[in-house]
Formats: sequence, C-alpha cells, structure tokens
Amino acid sequence: MGYYVLTYVCVAVFVLASVRLVYRQWTLPLHVRWEIYPVRHETAARVAYGGSYMEEVDWWNRERERSLANELKYMVPEIFFLRGLWKANRGLWLASFPFHFGLYLMIATFGGLLLHASLTLWGSPVYAGGGLLRSLLDGYVVAAGWLGLILGCLGGLALMTKRLFDREWREYSSLSDYFNLGIILAFFLSALAAALVVDPWFTGAKGFVFGLLTGGHAPPRTALGALTVILASLLVALIPLTHMSHMFMKYFLYHQVKWDEAPNRRGGKIEAAVRKNLDLKPTWQAAHVRADGCASWKDIASSTPGETK
Amino acid sequence: MKAARRPSDMAVRSERLCHIEPGDMVPLPSSYEDFNRVTLPPLKPERVKGIEASLDDTVAIGIPKPASREEEDLLVRKFLSGLKKLFEEKNNWTFLQPLLLSMEHCARCQTCADACPVYEMSGRQEIYRPIFRSEVLRRIYRKYLKPGGRVAAKWNGDIDLNWTTMARLAELSYRCTLCRRCASVCPIGVDNGLITHEIRKLFSQEMGIAPKELHEKGTVQHLRVGSSTGMNPLAAKDSVEFIQEEMEEIAGFKVEIPWDREGADILLIHNAGEILAWPENVGAFAILFQAAGLSWTLSSEAVGYDAVNYGLWYDDVQFSRVAVKHADIARRLNVRKIVMGECGHAHKALTVTADRLLTGDLNIPRESAMVTLADIVSSGRLSLDPRRNPFPVTLHDPCNMVRSMGIVEPQRRILRAVAPRFREMTPHGVDNYCCGGGSGFAIMSGYNFADWRNLVSSRRKFLQILDAFADEPPEAPKYVCAPCSNCKGAIRDMIGYYHGEERSGLYYGGLVELIVNAMSDMKKPIIQFDGKSSWES
Repeated sequence: MGYYVLTYVCVAVFVLASVRLVYRQWTLPLHVRWEIYPVRHETAARVAYGGSYMEEVDWWNRERERSLANELKYMVPEIFFLRGLWKANRGLWLASFPFHFGLYLMIATFGGLLLHASLTLWGSPVYAGGGLLRSLLDGYVVAAGWLGLILGCLGGLALMTKRLFDREWREYSSLSDYFNLGIILAFFLSALAAALVVDPWFTGAKGFVFGLLTGGHAPPRTALGALTVILASLLVALIPLTHMSHMFMKYFLYHQVKWDEAPNRRGGKIEAAVRKNLDLKPTWQAAHVRADGCASWKDIASSTPGETK
Repeated sequence: MKAARRPSDMAVRSERLCHIEPGDMVPLPSSYEDFNRVTLPPLKPERVKGIEASLDDTVAIGIPKPASREEEDLLVRKFLSGLKKLFEEKNNWTFLQPLLLSMEHCARCQTCADACPVYEMSGRQEIYRPIFRSEVLRRIYRKYLKPGGRVAAKWNGDIDLNWTTMARLAELSYRCTLCRRCASVCPIGVDNGLITHEIRKLFSQEMGIAPKELHEKGTVQHLRVGSSTGMNPLAAKDSVEFIQEEMEEIAGFKVEIPWDREGADILLIHNAGEILAWPENVGAFAILFQAAGLSWTLSSEAVGYDAVNYGLWYDDVQFSRVAVKHADIARRLNVRKIVMGECGHAHKALTVTADRLLTGDLNIPRESAMVTLADIVSSGRLSLDPRRNPFPVTLHDPCNMVRSMGIVEPQRRILRAVAPRFREMTPHGVDNYCCGGGSGFAIMSGYNFADWRNLVSSRRKFLQILDAFADEPPEAPKYVCAPCSNCKGAIRDMIGYYHGEERSGLYYGGLVELIVNAMSDMKKPIIQFDGKSSWES
C-alpha cells in the first residue's frame, strides 16, 4: 500500500504545483508586446518569411487574419520532434530528441496502461476475455514501452555525458541540473532493467496501474519494479517543481510572449488591462523616476523628469 | 591573467575579467588583413582611475567606484532592492511575465551561443556568451531573494554578490545589442536579450546608473530640449528649411515641408539624427510624399520632431514618457496616423512596445515608413527609372523593424523596383545579424567603446557586407541600404574604421534616397559617391 500512497501523493503534488504555476501565469498583469517573428499564426505567405500584419497599409482597418493551422504546422513537429533544435543545434538534437521522445512514449505507455485498467474495470466482458482490442492494446503498450525506454536511456545517457564532459555545459550545470537529469535517467534505466529482467510484457506495470484505480491492488513484487515505481512517482512530483516544467510552461513562453502580437484596440480587453496596469503605483528609487508610492504609472508617464539621475 | 570561466568569477576581484588578444577575433579577409592584428586600444589609467573598469577592455557606463566599504554595501543593498522590484507587479508589470518565464526555464543547452554575433566575433569570450549574464542574475536572484536561497545556493549554482559582481554586471549588460537573435533560436523560448534589458532597467530605475549617452544626453535631453541630439524646435525648423533648399536644388522644383498642419493624414516623425547627419533622408521623404500627393506634416513641438525613444533600451519610465509625448502630439494635431521614419528602434518603441501603454485617444494608429513607401512605389504615382541606380545594392535588416516587428517584405518590394542590382546578405530577414550598434551602441562612444563596437559587435555585419559584394570589383561603388538611423550610424563608423570606402568602394544610406534617386523627374542625383554622381557609376 505504501507504494500507492507515494504515487497518489506525488500525483497530487504534480497537479497542485502545476495548477499553481499555470494559475500564476494566467493572473499576471498583461505585459507590453515583445514578440519575435516569425509569428506562426500569421498567414502562410507571411509565415514563410516572418512578416506581420503591420506590413499592410492602414493595418488597423483590416480584419486580422490568424491561422491555427499554420500554428499547428509548426507546433506539432516542434513538440514531438524538436524541430527548432534540429535546425539550430543538430548535435544536441541527437541526444535531446530520443530523450524527449522517450518521455513522450512513457506518457503514451502510461495512457495505454490506464486505458487497459479502465476497460478491465468498466469495460465489456469481451475486453476482459481477450479479443482484437485487447491484443492491440497489449501490443501498443509493449511497443511504446520498449521503444520509449530504449530511446529514453540512450538520450538520457547522452545528455548526462554532455553535461559531465562538455565544458560549455559543465560550467553552467548546477547540482540540481545533475539531480533532475539523474532522476529521469535513473527511472529509464531502472524501468528498462525491470522490463528486461522481470516484466518484458508489462504485466506487472498493468497490475500496478490497475491498482491505482482500485486503491492499491497489486504492489510491485520485485525490487526493480518497486524502484521503478518510486522513481517514476518522484519524477512526476518533481516536474512542476523544477525547470523540467518547461514541458508545459513552454506554452506561455511561445503563446504569451514570443507570438503575442495582438494589437490594442480602443475599447477592447487589452485596453482595459492596460488601464488597470497604469493605475499601479511603482516605488522605483532613482530620482528621475519620481515614484513616491502614491503616483501611478499613468501619472509618471505623463510627467517629465525633474532630475537627470 | 586567468580567463573567466564561470559566472561565479564575476565576484572575484581582479584587474580585468576578460581580455581580447590580437588574433582571438574571427579573422577578416585578406584586404583587411592588417586589422587582424588590431585589438582594442588600452584604457588610459588616468581616465579610468575612479571608475569601474574591471570587466573587459572597454567601459560603457563608467560607474564611479565607492569611496568606502560602507558605500559598497549600500550600493549592493540598493541593487538587491531593485532586483526585488523587477519581480513585483506594481513595479514591473511591463515585463514581469516574460522575465519570470525566461528566468525559470533556461535548460542551459547553449543553443543561443552560436546565434550571438558578439560572442562569436569576439573569439567566444566566455563573458559575452548569451547565458553568462543571465546566469549571473539568475544565481543572485535565487540566492539572495528566494526563501532559503543561501542554503540552496550550492544546489542551484552559487555566486557571491559584492560591489564587484554588481558593477561588472551593470557593465556587462552593455555588451549585448539586444538583437534577440539568441531568443529566436532558443528551443524553449527563453530570451537572454530580455534579461539583459531588465538588468539595465534595474540599474537605471533604482540606482540611476545608465550610460550618459542614453540617459542624460538621451532621454532626459529629449524630454527637456526636444531632441536627443540637443536640437531645440527652432534649430530643427532652421535645419529643415536648409534641407528644403537643398532638395529644391536636387529636384529642380519647389519642395514643401509642412510643419504642424492640423488634420493632416500623416504625422511623419524622423529620427532627428537624420536632420543633422543625413539631411538628404529627410529631404527625400519630402520629395516623395509631395510627389505622391500625400497629406502630411512634421511637428515642431519639442519631442515631436525626434522619433527616437532610447528608453526602449534601458528604462521603462523614460520609455513611457517619450511614447506618451509622441502620441499626445499626434492627438493634438488630429492626424489620422503616425508614420515612423527610417529608425528601427523608434518603429518598435512606438508601434509595438507602446501599443500596451497608449489608451483611448492616445492610441493613434502607427505605420512603418517601409509600408507607406512601398505603397507609393507600387501605386504607380511616381515615374521611376531604376537605371538611375546602376550600382550594386544590399539591404541591412534593422533587428527592431524585422525580427521584432515583422516588417520584412515592403522594403524588398521597393528595392526590387528601384535597384536592379539588389542582392541579399546571408542570412537576412528575420535571421539577420545586428549592425553592432543596436540598443544604443551606435551612439555610445565614451572611453574606447566605439573601438569595441567596430572591432567586436559590428564585425559580423562588416563581414556580411563584404560577402554580399564579393563578386564586385573593389573599386566599384556599392551601396549598403540601411533603413534605420542607428544602423546607419554603426555602418558609417565601421566603413570609416576599416577604410571600407577606400578598399572596397562601400557607401551607405537609407531606402528613401534610393527611390528618389530613381525618380525620372529629378534634376540631380540625391546619392553621390565621393562627390560623383551615382547615376553614372
């Protein structure tokens, strides 16, 4: 039961910490525009060279064209295949892609295990008795699991080697970087060892995940299985607590900064947010700012500096 | 001297943290071989005696050294107070979200390093690596401001904060041109240029520390006198009157330059540096707008005739004041739109960044001159003869106009129409390299900073220009089109420094001059190469 408690706690930490991170981002004040082109939801013609709607005469009188399809055309290869890294740093891509894809396959494997557990619990007797769906799902779990573990181990080892022996990386790596990477690598290695030695068909994994839905049904029976459960649980909890959260926080880096070129229209939502910001009262101390804690940004922006310093 | 290896070395007192040896920098081609043995002229001891000069071979700010330990401690405390404010909504709503995201999510994968022209051209000096200064700030922030930071410092990456760290960090924030090429390649979206910008802000807004050229002689003078050039409204009008006469000589007909015309369609705002250094640019706009039959005006009100906004580079408060002033002048003139002249940072400042500052009737539509000019050229309202521009032309893409604003194609449409021998640099468009004068560097020249700019930050652009014209004979005149005043300043300086005119026939200028030069009804060419007509080159 202890393993299940650990997993439940770690999942709860993941959920709470992730919600906190995301909530914080949603509730931050609207910032000034700081986009970088190409902005991928522009029209296909403009995305091709990095143009913007501001290339049009009297652009404010025109309907702004945005293309979700263009954005997806960029985002899908970026998320799954690290397209940007492939273009800008191919050497690193060789290590980073298998590592990240391995992690995605682990998530996909867990999804398969969860589906298996759900169908077993709440599905029709046909699924419980075998058949095509069951065979397909079993095959999917084994294929995704093995491929993910192999890629993850290779990528993780390559990244750890780079961090340890490449001077450019080593000088900027902290103990926490080694720990974060180390725990992912340890998980991959332990899970691969478990698959090799005791659970090649992921039967134990299926049992454990089934237990997650039923309140502790089948704790791991082997030391390798137990180690894998512990490491996987800790990893899940650590993601939102470390810079590994870039896994989902990248959304904000792209959509709310890099590609946020929405213009401020009179009477619109953006203008309302700007007005709210202008009422804030800064406390910067340099003499030229003339912030006394009572003057708002609006007051200060409408004034001229009294001091040169 | 031990080379700086790690961010933590910033705290260790030494005579100099980084020194560029002759031969460290990326070599120039054979005709510039002599410059491969050149390095920065040493800082004169008597000039830097009382100021912080221990970062590298140059000085951008010149922060006075504290007289006592107590004063050092006081400054460090002020620094920490400013750092805290960078993470507060009321003090930094302008950039809080982008800053938080960039501070928290860097994987230190070094993908940005190869994108940075300063780092590359300097011979990969560690302190110029894009994440070096970000990492210094990140470590200080985590150690000194996060709960339990001092205990966790060994875990997260340690650094000591003292006067030396702080003063070097201030200087180091002026070794990046904020071109944001690093941010454009970061797989996560982290922006080291933004972090540099925020470091500059901290020093300016909390401690009053900024380069004189940007603050006292820049935004302060702009707001008080009317222009960062020091030109008051009367002087601006006088100068433009002189330009008008010059243009009539070139055009062979009367040229009107309207001032303060209420209800005009367009308020055109130039970088006032054009009026003084490149008057033909201001004149060319007047000829073109008149020929196209546009309803337009200049403003003679203080600030209204100078589009620059140096606050964009170092201080949100000064930035806001200048932007509000620009918008308010346009509002009172009751114009339909503001057209930004050939000035890249002014484009971004008023059109993009100030977009979330201006509300109500201050939110006057703003348009890039590239767009207005392309519309004029494509409309058929001008009689153009591209054969009048027979010389090779290449285009420099100002970072603020292109990568930060997406104004890429209009200027190319124009060049394809008026310059038959136009060729691109490699890379270009949103992948361009900075001229080396970005973020204020073009106007900063105290101590030996101009040498540093020419040798290090402008080096990549100089190589690109040479490369673009590699197929041309050295003696043939060649035109580098830079539709941005600051970029033009940096390009002028690099051509002068490397004797590019004598050795490679390099000349430079704006875009609008090329259009006017191709107008069939001009009496004389507006572009001249060493006093000779460009029509016959």
